[in-house]
Amino acid sequence: MKEIGFVEEAGLRLRAEPARDEAFKVVRRDKEMAEYDGSGPEAQRESVHRHMTNEITSLDIAAQCLIEFPDAPWGLRMELARQCWDESRHIAALHRRLEEMGGYKGEVPISAFEWQVTCALDDLAGRLASQNRTFEAGAMDVVGGNIREWRAIGDDATAAVLDAILADEIHHVRFANRWIKQLAAENPRVLMKVAMAVRFVSHANQTLQADAGETTVNGKVFEDPHSRIPIVNVEDRKLAEFNDEEINEILRQAGFRSLVPEQVHA
Amino acid sequence: MSLTVNDRVRAIATFRFIEVRLMEITAAWTPTTAEMEVKVLFGRHIFDFAQHADWLGKRTFELRKPEQYSLKPAESYVDVIEALAAEEETGKRLSALYDVFIPALESRYRAYVDATDRLLDEPSVVIVERILIDLERMKRDAQRLRERIAVVAVPLPELARRESAHSAIVAPQG
Repeated sequence: MKEIGFVEEAGLRLRAEPARDEAFKVVRRDKEMAEYDGSGPEAQRESVHRHMTNEITSLDIAAQCLIEFPDAPWGLRMELARQCWDESRHIAALHRRLEEMGGYKGEVPISAFEWQVTCALDDLAGRLASQNRTFEAGAMDVVGGNIREWRAIGDDATAAVLDAILADEIHHVRFANRWIKQLAAENPRVLMKVAMAVRFVSHANQTLQADAGETTVNGKVFEDPHSRIPIVNVEDRKLAEFNDEEINEILRQAGFRSLVPEQVHA
Repeated sequence: MSLTVNDRVRAIATFRFIEVRLMEITAAWTPTTAEMEVKVLFGRHIFDFAQHADWLGKRTFELRKPEQYSLKPAESYVDVIEALAAEEETGKRLSALYDVFIPALESRYRAYVDATDRLLDEPSVVIVERILIDLERMKRDAQRLRERIAVVAVPLPELARRESAHSAIVAPQG
């Protein structure tokens, strides 16, 4: 059976990219991607294209977890299988929307960064911490804001697609939170694996992200990474069963320290 | 004489083994298949196979075995499943699964329904009949996709011959 190996990139041992349609140009760095300012047609199509190809990556990751962890509890395997179905529908819905907007698959370069990082980890709790609890939870934060932006420019169709996707993603994050807790309760070493996974994701992100002043293929200049203020979707993070302390920590990291209750600062 | 409870649970647990393997095979094919639309098809069907396994696995508990109990089929039939898993080219993967293996599995499910007592074993029959509806839809999904993205069906007579060479797939009782 075909297997996907590993590659080295900037001193990191990452998983080699999964197979991609020949229509796509696959790249590894932000500066090789396209990104557009504003909300013109190109920016809109790039945004939907990026969501769509991130969903392909999420599908590949969930599927790979089913293969590489055959002894995982059946209930967790069922959640991963369900996630595969959800991600498949997300890809199809975003592809349909992209075509309605006049776009097409392969219109801009894509990356499989989340796969390369997550599938480099050798344990399932670590992968859930990376993909579901970090990348998908981060996407949940971003998509919540995107939905309002699409509505603001009168594109209710794209907003509706993203709203349906967001509802599914909340559950993907929630089941990861539940299973990590359960696995850690059964074996405290799981927490060590989760901590190592989070550190690896953070290190890979810092190593491979664009530096201030670098440009995308279409000439957009990147800001200093430290000045990029992330959005935090508190309401959906609560639905995904992050506790108050975890949400406050995320808010602190996002630069909202002054909004976090005092007792949690200590 | 109809099947005994032991015969039934052995058959149901064997079907569960096969459905879990089909979930795993389509999952393994997903990151290693390039065509986006085919990935989407496999991604949808991974969950169909998982649900079938789950329903069958709940039934094993009602037949004096643990919940989610699987039984490995006869060794030579496991080899057939692994031959399916080993297909690497997209057209062959689609044909092997949707033209050869699923139709054969449907026949084996129908043979089970014919062999069992439909009243005493009605919970199994209901599960199997629901699975048959799904398998029919899954074949239609694959056919529609092949028409849309122009993937030609590939004849796989050797795989079909090896599959049909097994009159029974439940492993002999040791």
